Amino acid sequence: MKRAVFLASSAMTLVLGTGGFAQDVPPTYSLYGTPGLLEMPVATTAEEGTLAGTLSYRDGLFQTVLNYQLTDRLSGTMRYSIVDLYNDLETSVIENELERGFDLKYQLVEEGTYAPAIAVGLRDFLTPGRFQSEYIVATKSFGDSLTVTGGIGWGEMGTEGGFDNPISSRADRPVFDEADPDGQLGSDYWFTGDAAFFGGLEYQINDRWGVLAEYSSIAYDPAPNAPAVSADSPYSFGVTYRPRDAVQLSFAALNGQELAISGSFFLNANNRPSLSGFEAAPVPINARSASARQATTWDRNATPEAALRSALTATLAIEGLTLTGMEMTDRTARVRFINTRYRSNAQAMGRAARMMTQVMPGAIEVFVLEAEAQGIGLSAVTVNRSDLEALENRPSATATLFANTAFAAAGDDVGLTSARDADAALFLWGVSPYLTFDPSGGDGDLSVDAGLRLDASYQFSPQLILSGAVLQSALRFNAEDPDPDSTPDLQNVRSDRGFYGDDGVPVLESLALAHFGRPGGDIYSRVSVGYLERMFGGISTELLWKPVDSRFGLGAEMNYVAQRDSDMGFGFDEYEYETATGHLSAYYDFGNGYHTQVDLGRYLAGDWGATLRFDREYDNGVRVGAYVSQTDTAHEDFGDGSYNKGIVIAIPQDFLTGQPNRDTYGTTLRTRTGDGGARLNVDGRLYGVVRDAHQADLSDTWGRFWR
Amino acid sequence: MTRLGLVVAAWALMSCGDARNDGIGGQVTGLLLGSDAEAPARQSLNVTEEDLLGNPGTYMRVNIRDRNRWETMVRAGSNGARTTWIDGENITVTEENGIVVATRGLPRDMMGAEATGTWNAIRAGGGTVQRQVDFLDDQDQILARVLQCRIVSEGSDPVTRLQRTYPASRFKEECSGEGLSLSNIYWLNPSGRMIRSLQAVSPDAGYLQIDVF
Repeated sequence: MKRAVFLASSAMTLVLGTGGFAQDVPPTYSLYGTPGLLEMPVATTAEEGTLAGTLSYRDGLFQTVLNYQLTDRLSGTMRYSIVDLYNDLETSVIENELERGFDLKYQLVEEGTYAPAIAVGLRDFLTPGRFQSEYIVATKSFGDSLTVTGGIGWGEMGTEGGFDNPISSRADRPVFDEADPDGQLGSDYWFTGDAAFFGGLEYQINDRWGVLAEYSSIAYDPAPNAPAVSADSPYSFGVTYRPRDAVQLSFAALNGQELAISGSFFLNANNRPSLSGFEAAPVPINARSASARQATTWDRNATPEAALRSALTATLAIEGLTLTGMEMTDRTARVRFINTRYRSNAQAMGRAARMMTQVMPGAIEVFVLEAEAQGIGLSAVTVNRSDLEALENRPSATATLFANTAFAAAGDDVGLTSARDADAALFLWGVSPYLTFDPSGGDGDLSVDAGLRLDASYQFSPQLILSGAVLQSALRFNAEDPDPDSTPDLQNVRSDRGFYGDDGVPVLESLALAHFGRPGGDIYSRVSVGYLERMFGGISTELLWKPVDSRFGLGAEMNYVAQRDSDMGFGFDEYEYETATGHLSAYYDFGNGYHTQVDLGRYLAGDWGATLRFDREYDNGVRVGAYVSQTDTAHEDFGDGSYNKGIVIAIPQDFLTGQPNRDTYGTTLRTRTGDGGARLNVDGRLYGVVRDAHQADLSDTWGRFWR
Repeated sequence: MTRLGLVVAAWALMSCGDARNDGIGGQVTGLLLGSDAEAPARQSLNVTEEDLLGNPGTYMRVNIRDRNRWETMVRAGSNGARTTWIDGENITVTEENGIVVATRGLPRDMMGAEATGTWNAIRAGGGTVQRQVDFLDDQDQILARVLQCRIVSEGSDPVTRLQRTYPASRFKEECSGEGLSLSNIYWLNPSGRMIRSLQAVSPDAGYLQIDVF
């Protein structure tokens, strides 16, 4: 009881304000999946780094939306809608059409004491843009609970109570010609035609419940190829409920007659649910005595190298690190290891260094840590043992150690004594379920495939691995077989993928022999031969130049491949299509989490062009990227979508679970995948293999070295 | 043997070492001599009251306030004036003269801190001091906070535990810095050794109540 009294009587305060740990509740999200009222946008933005997924339904319109707040002011949105559309002649309704769309919103003015926040936005801004709208909106809050929004909209948002465009030079809005290629920037349409006012109120009753009232400027007028959604009245009312901070549910009475529901789910890449992680504490540094520190050599008879190797193998194994090689001199120990546990190689190096302080003779002052992947040393990170001893648990230890650490190319394999386990299993296999969701069928169909996959690999040497996968589909939903070839001038390198592996029998997804190497100091190589991916087999070769301390990398890939039979067996007879494809690639890490990649070369269908990719990568591993490919193929030959583009999202498992793990949950959201701008899907591209042990990536997570 | 078992066993070995606490050396020596790498069975950290009272300097009892649970900790290693203690769940606390300077394994660890100024102020009966405390944020970056701290003596306040009462004097340290304010309480016995404390780790990890035996 004494203890309870002690606890109760100790009044403590521990308060953190903004900066570092603050977590804001996101704004209300509309049925269109962006910060808004019910169907209308607001000028408010979410906190930077917020990813919001929304599912919403009203009669005739189901939406799946991903909204991402890239910077404090700029947000982007990708949307899949299943919508009923009027036909070309407006004589009937085509049900359940799949439409993709993108939005952008930029906040021009932040809310001030008296001034409202002002934002400008484009909704569904690529052609054909069934919901295409542009708007300028202002939002002002009054107290903590009430916000008022008013705006002016064009396009779909200019159809209810519209008036002549105040931009007189853009008085008429063109009608989209269905024969024109879609997926184009619809800049000819933006801010044209009638404009209309919209607005609304939001009142937050408490932390959980809020109410909304909206005057909408979307009339949903019947028109050719327009959404067949009925709206009798511009007035809509709704209730929002947040059972948790990361979830919003909305219930609405729309346009006087329709009911709608939506659910939004939030994740902020800056706010890790697992905080700084739940992994076990590391072994403390074993500090040497002063005399041990003075030693200039060590007694190899008393402590033979072989025994040290064996001890380090055992202690590193505790940390999920596999020692593969070691070299010792009088004062230096160079160790090469595979990190199987920690997302951050910096953390793996910290753990390895701590274990080395436990094992290594006192004379060993310099630790050289070489991370290995695919059998190749990726970098050499040199730390001084006396720094580890002096800096452990000290303020600013992270920055000081980083400044004292040398980053260089991994040393030669010659010199390393192998520590590889001769009894380690060379053949590995596993069975797991799979689920693929392909919303980008050639004619807009959704395709879902689920089943079991058997993965197996055999390691001939650390650099030479045979691996493959066999899939058995158990549940396959193809709305229908792909349409007849709409782009006869281009080989169906991707548009036939719906035919692949749809016979219900086991299929060979891949079976390839891959060799990785490091022919020069900063040069890495890969050769892959076999059934490289679902649709192509052949040979793929790659060279990458990427200095450890550089933010820049250059790669060259050359492939010669043939199109596989659609039964995904061993044959190449069905298409009789062979091609040379390859790219020159440049990679650059701008810092502050911005990365880019440019690929120039020849694509699978023989078209020449470029792919530009841009990624926002958070230091905790969350990644949101976008890419676009443009080639010399004429738009009408490209297939739907005009050019290949998509969004890539990756969330590391440890972000969610707090348990150390190198796996990532990821997905690529494509718009339609045409035959133009298609690249080979080969495993093990080098940049992804080497970069996370190089200086820029190590510095991103260096805070974990000491954890 | 599970990984957890191995880690605890390794630390248990370390904790059995001499004053320099290079106890894992025992394990390493075994490996060097060619014995099997298998570590000994997990050592239970269920320690009796007799053990706690009869082995001064061997154990710490820690209540992680956010978990509302008491854990017994044993020595895992030392580096200069700093000692790292570990519990059965692989959480470590590092202290210098009883003042917490680091934790590992909590949801928001204190990655490193200074303690000399606070200790000198306590020894002087009070004073003001500037301390830096480092945390690991959600982006794997170090979030450093410079705290302005005032240490005052709050007079005699005996400590009672395990049915025994010990004379002690109480000190309170109040700190504030950018976005962070906290207060720690320390109890020192007449010989100047800290025998109990209530110390803040971080906003997400909360407070530790520490009893040193």
